[in-house]
Amino acid sequence: MSPMANTVPFSLNRLVIVAGNTFLEAVRQKLFNFLLLLAIALVASAQFFREFNFGSSELKFISDFGFGAMVFFGSTLTIAATAQLFFSEIENRTALTILAKPIWRTEFIFGKFLGVFAVVGVFCALMTLLLAGLLYHRESGLMTMHPEAFEHGRIIHYADLVVMGMLQWLKFGVLAAITLLIASFSNTNLYTVVMSFFMLVICHLQYLARDAYAQVASVPLRLLVQVLGYVFPNFQVFNLADQIGVGSGLDASVALHVVVYALIYIGVIGGLAVYSFSSREI
Amino acid sequence: MKSKFPELRAVRVGVVVIAILVATGWAIRSFEEPTWRVVRAQQPAMKLDSLQGALGQGVTVGLLGGFRAIVADFFWIKTNSLWEESDLPATQTLIKIVTAIDPRPLYFWLNGSRMIAYDMPHWRIIAKGGYDAVPPAEQKRIDSEQSTVAINYLREGFAYHPKSPAIYLEIANVYLNRLKDVAVAAEFYHEAALQPDAPYYAARIYGELLRRLGRKAEAYAWLKQLYPTLPRLVASDAANGEKSATQRQREEFIIETAMAPEVLMRIHELEKELKIAEQQKFRD
Repeated sequence: MSPMANTVPFSLNRLVIVAGNTFLEAVRQKLFNFLLLLAIALVASAQFFREFNFGSSELKFISDFGFGAMVFFGSTLTIAATAQLFFSEIENRTALTILAKPIWRTEFIFGKFLGVFAVVGVFCALMTLLLAGLLYHRESGLMTMHPEAFEHGRIIHYADLVVMGMLQWLKFGVLAAITLLIASFSNTNLYTVVMSFFMLVICHLQYLARDAYAQVASVPLRLLVQVLGYVFPNFQVFNLADQIGVGSGLDASVALHVVVYALIYIGVIGGLAVYSFSSREI
Repeated sequence: MKSKFPELRAVRVGVVVIAILVATGWAIRSFEEPTWRVVRAQQPAMKLDSLQGALGQGVTVGLLGGFRAIVADFFWIKTNSLWEESDLPATQTLIKIVTAIDPRPLYFWLNGSRMIAYDMPHWRIIAKGGYDAVPPAEQKRIDSEQSTVAINYLREGFAYHPKSPAIYLEIANVYLNRLKDVAVAAEFYHEAALQPDAPYYAARIYGELLRRLGRKAEAYAWLKQLYPTLPRLVASDAANGEKSATQRQREEFIIETAMAPEVLMRIHELEKELKIAEQQKFRD
């Protein structure tokens, strides 16, 4: 909290102003447009990559490919945009101007977070819409060609597709919070980006550490691996896309648990970013 | 308030951050664990031991990015190019990596096991100077080794396809064609026949192998029970007119491959061999 902020109460309005400004800055960036176009091109080209498909059903392949593009480019966008938008304020000294006003550092950090979260939300919504359109188009074609394979109606559950898009969005929210936490104590944009990518990989492979600690004989080493397993959130719980295109729908209670899991982590890691940033000298 | 030891500030912040993350992770684990169990059961779990080879080869980003299917497909293309060069260690390693990355398609399991069980023994014998140079006992040992590798590999596939008749059939084929173990092969054909959506020939081959093993009474009982379940051509099928050409072709193909007349013929042969009394003979 800036010294002057001691005198004013926390304001949701100021937080929304910071978020709105962050969102506008982000969508004006070339990076956002570039990644969005690249991701759209990749999802749209999924039909051409079918030639490389050996095992999965065609619709499953397109769905996997689309979510692959969403996760890959979404992660890149989240990390790059969060780091860039945070450090642009520090490097351009605008953070000094903003924090000299009666504004809480909590408002600043969570404003940044919400701005990036909204940008990533737009990205996820567009990608989900495109993927759903592509799958619907291809499924309709296949239904005409092979009606016997669709005796029980459509295979793709389009509502699940939307839920999956939302879960990916929440995962990017956790990733944005992690990036902000790193940015809150880091001195450079590059360090933040590299560290955040490492964190992304670690959070995806966290479950392997959990598997490993059950096999480790040495007690101190087992405890260390167990603690490491607690430090990082498990990003694989968001990976429900495997159920799309195989006939069985998503379990609503599982999806709800994942939503709560993501919100808890966003709250805790965001809070830690505020704590770390509050003791930082700008 | 300024700290007396500003250099310790970063350490203090770091310790607090890690402590809170550990506490959160510990507190949330009981909430996350049941969800994670469900998620993990639904998705093809990437196992630690089988993934170690794959992770070292630059596929991490592809896997984490969700491009599992396409990464596995590209590795399968690479497997085939190594197979063309008869590079045994690399082909065998890549076959296992492909199914570690994406264990969902049966195609990888079946074709991978065929390379291991049928092609690799040939490569090993050729590498040792050819069939004339390698004594038959040694050839048999090589066949047995490769077949064991293929069977173990296919057994791993049950973790992802527990009720797949195709995997049971593939194991049965290896026992029958490579290891010449008719008794064990028969058991696997039997298991295949018991699975949902099993092809009709699994049950037919099981009956045939029972006959070959000299268990003619069992074969007779099995085929008698099988025959009424087989689809047969009914000339006056009223619904035929309403079906599309593709549907009719598909049904004709199923009827043809079910080979009901051949099964009936085998039942009658067994009746003769078993000297079944006229009044007890099977009637269609």
